[in-house]
Amino acid sequence: MQKYLLTFIIIFSLTAAVSADTIKATVNGMVCGFCATGIEKTFRAQPEVKSVNVDLENKLVTIETKQGRTLDDTRIKKLLGNAGYSVVAFARQK
Amino acid sequence: MKTRTTFLSLIFLSITSLHVEAKPLSYVGGTMAMQENDETGHTLALDYTFTPTQAFGLYVKQEENGKDILMLTPQINTLIKRWNLPDGQGNIFNMSGAGLARYRDNNQPCLWTAFLADYESRRWFLSYEPRFVWDGDIEKSVWQRARIGIAPYLANYNELNTWIMFQVDHHPAKHDHFVATPLIRFFYKTYLFEVGYSSNQHIMVNWQIQF
Repeated sequence: MQKYLLTFIIIFSLTAAVSADTIKATVNGMVCGFCATGIEKTFRAQPEVKSVNVDLENKLVTIETKQGRTLDDTRIKKLLGNAGYSVVAFARQK
Repeated sequence: MKTRTTFLSLIFLSITSLHVEAKPLSYVGGTMAMQENDETGHTLALDYTFTPTQAFGLYVKQEENGKDILMLTPQINTLIKRWNLPDGQGNIFNMSGAGLARYRDNNQPCLWTAFLADYESRRWFLSYEPRFVWDGDIEKSVWQRARIGIAPYLANYNELNTWIMFQVDHHPAKHDHFVATPLIRFFYKTYLFEVGYSSNQHIMVNWQIQF
């Protein structure tokens, strides 16, 4: 039983370590194509990012990271701040 | 030689003129090219945003509707204050330049500064801009511009956005002190194009690209 449990823990840990993040940031101030493109270019330049999508209507920036990579909230806030916008909420999915 | 210089100036102006009523800053590392052709003349600007609050670039203007002054200045654009709101964004910017002005073979140092206050949502656009220009002993002028716009439908950024706008200019030093210009703005991703017709019978054609 202990062996099974240990095996499960190891497999779960490995899976978590190599999984990607999908981060949804609710952002204030996005109103136009210049906003959206600036944000997309900023995040696409990050080595951790696989894809980024901007939804003006729902004020959402969705960032998908590469396998085994992540972006922490502080860094996302800084990147969006450099692009000129403010983050009001984060939601993460593995 | 003079003809060649004028020709090259016109080519330069035609491919680069800039001062569209959109934000004078992009994201860090972004470049904007803008051109404005209207009843005040032809303006071209090229700006590179190097911090979240500052952009540096080149400003060229060939004035009309009064003295036909050619201005060439480096310019710096500064974001003074920004309000990121749930459904919009408000800004106060300063744009300033120092360089050379030319009028009938008279070259003079020139300075200009402008403030731009704007509010933009996906539906509404409002802006006000006072501008102060000192062209040595050629001319000193103050002018102001206000604009209101509405988007008749809401579109995402990768669809064609359309705005109906109305602009009023007040420039006491020009022949026509008050000029009204209804215009239409088209916006697709990072391409902005405007066309209008002013009350003093000039066609307005503006564009802006961010890359």
